[in-house]
Amino acid sequence: MSELFGDADEVRQRLDAVGHLVDEGTATALYLATVLDRPLLVEGEPGVGKTSLAKALAQALDTPLIRLQCYEGLTPGEALYEWNHQRQLLAIRLTEARGGRLADADVFTEEFLHDRPLLRAVRHTGPLPPVLLIDEIDRADDEFEALLFEFLGEWSITVPELGTFAAVRPPVVLLTSNRSRELHDALRRRCLYHWIDFPSPERTAQILHRSVPAANEPLIASATQFIGSVRRLDLDKAPGMAEAIDWVSALAALRVARLTRSDVVSTLSAVAKSPDDRMAITGALDELGCPEQARRP
Amino acid sequence: MTRPRPLLPAVDRAAFAVAFATRLRQRGVAVGLTAAQDFVRALVAVPPLSRTALYWSARVTLVRRRPDLARFDEVFDAVFGEALLSVDPNARRNSGRSDPRGGGTRSPAPLDPYDVSGASADRGGLPWVTLPPVADAEHRDDVTLSVPQRLPSDLAGALDTPFEQLDAEQAQLLGRWLERGLREWPVRRSRRYAVRPGGPRVAIRETAARARRTGWDPVHLVRTGPVHRPRRVVVLCDVSRSMQAQAMAYLHLMRALALTTHAEVFAFATSLTRLTTTLGRRSAESALSEATERVADRFGGTRIAHCLSTLLASHHGGTVRGAVVLIGSDGWDGDPPERLAAVMARLRRRAHMVIWLNPRAASPGFVPRTTTMTAALPYVDVLLPADSFADLLRVPGEVARYARRG
Repeated sequence: MSELFGDADEVRQRLDAVGHLVDEGTATALYLATVLDRPLLVEGEPGVGKTSLAKALAQALDTPLIRLQCYEGLTPGEALYEWNHQRQLLAIRLTEARGGRLADADVFTEEFLHDRPLLRAVRHTGPLPPVLLIDEIDRADDEFEALLFEFLGEWSITVPELGTFAAVRPPVVLLTSNRSRELHDALRRRCLYHWIDFPSPERTAQILHRSVPAANEPLIASATQFIGSVRRLDLDKAPGMAEAIDWVSALAALRVARLTRSDVVSTLSAVAKSPDDRMAITGALDELGCPEQARRP
Repeated sequence: MTRPRPLLPAVDRAAFAVAFATRLRQRGVAVGLTAAQDFVRALVAVPPLSRTALYWSARVTLVRRRPDLARFDEVFDAVFGEALLSVDPNARRNSGRSDPRGGGTRSPAPLDPYDVSGASADRGGLPWVTLPPVADAEHRDDVTLSVPQRLPSDLAGALDTPFEQLDAEQAQLLGRWLERGLREWPVRRSRRYAVRPGGPRVAIRETAARARRTGWDPVHLVRTGPVHRPRRVVVLCDVSRSMQAQAMAYLHLMRALALTTHAEVFAFATSLTRLTTTLGRRSAESALSEATERVADRFGGTRIAHCLSTLLASHHGGTVRGAVVLIGSDGWDGDPPERLAAVMARLRRRAHMVIWLNPRAASPGFVPRTTTMTAALPYVDVLLPADSFADLLRVPGEVARYARRG
């Protein structure tokens, strides 16, 4: 059975090829997750690119990305599988109308089964395993975590009427969490863990270059520096990579060549996501390197 | 061109991984067996060609939570940073002066704004007194009541009296009032569903049953929703000599909790005594006198860490899971603080929230400076003053408020 990647550096290069820059740590984490067949729990501040990492990985491997968005009250029916009741009823009616006989097992076959993300990942057939993204696991309930254990440990799902489905090749599983609550130790034990930090200024500049080709060099440099100093302010939500990209795109769309105070103020809504943050940034603009005199005539 | 040779060429990987994991555990990073096993497999999968590669393999496999990262960095630096430095004569001279935990020469780990575990007393750390230092302490005589509602008048004066000045009768009255006062409590969602208006789901069965009356048309949708249960409470009360004045009052609190919320209650000094069944008696006097008899080691020394680890290791350790843990103690401990920190970390992981009631926290200008308190504080959600019954009465509300916010 061929490995997905040769080594950690290959992970980095192939992600690079699809336009996603990662550092050595993230590449090692992804490589180890594929080699050790373990799910990878990715944590980090909102907007450092946890979800886009999974998307880029799927793109780099050229396999489908199966995404399970978690939310409070997520039920097994929405995560594993469900029986298609309507079709079952129709099948029963049809058989009755034709005067045939129907055994119990006839309506509990795979054709009446709705695959939900986890079962879809297990039943995936293809040369390469799919990438399964279990997004924001911290939003799901404790019970749902417990439900994941069988799946994460054995890579199999049991449907009582049909038997156990086991994955041919374990899918590459990425779990993301925003730390809105502590995850259970048992779940952490089953996963590898990687904390994504805000990228360094140089990397930020590189990433911005990639994602906003319209922006010029000096704009990206000053924007990177501005974002870096904004992160040091006491904000409700520090701007992440996603915000930085949005902001620079907005600046580029406005055809800004050099960062000035009025431009910052008019596009601030891309960086500050709450009225308090907005006020904090506006108040600190002088220290952030956008003094009043830089205002355009 | 020759291939770069991996670091640690002739090293037994398993022994290395276990030794490194043990070192991490000594510094309070929880490293499980699975993690150590992963690390061994990772060393095979990614031969450590550089120190950075080794760092990332170790970090991804061994560390499982964010607050541990800073400590992991420290240990990694101590193990591998100094190993590289020791070739340099200058560094070797310095390393003689480094502190015994092996941290003296390296540069401090990057300060982590989210890492509460490293918070020391002077950095502030948790809001260790969540209540404003109320004027109670100064104005105890000209009682300005902060909880005036529904309060029997014969209790009003006793509320703010420090425990040591209360007589037995007043204590009893207050104990009874405390039992009634505990209404608000953090809840957990249970898996059970019950019919209730405004629930998030439609109860199919009940809806179908009602549809019988309307010719099988489901006119009325019956809603259902998860049942919320109050969280279990585990109370641990210090009954050593330094807590002599408060012990009786805390016993009243424990009794009130045991009766109203099915709490598990324990008293400890040098050893742990379970008082749940004893305090559950109908009559307050017999319950309290029996409890006093059962606690054999009252007014001896205190061994908080030992008693907490006894609790976690015993078959009552499971009761802590997902529970609200109240620890009533003044934080004088005979055990080494590292041990307390380790056991508090375990407790914190298991419990829903940990609350420390400290009678000394009520005094103005209190700073948790004893080594025990500084070791325990990073793992405590709320530190509340508990010097008088008014303080104790605020505990449930404070807990509920904190639980809603968190």
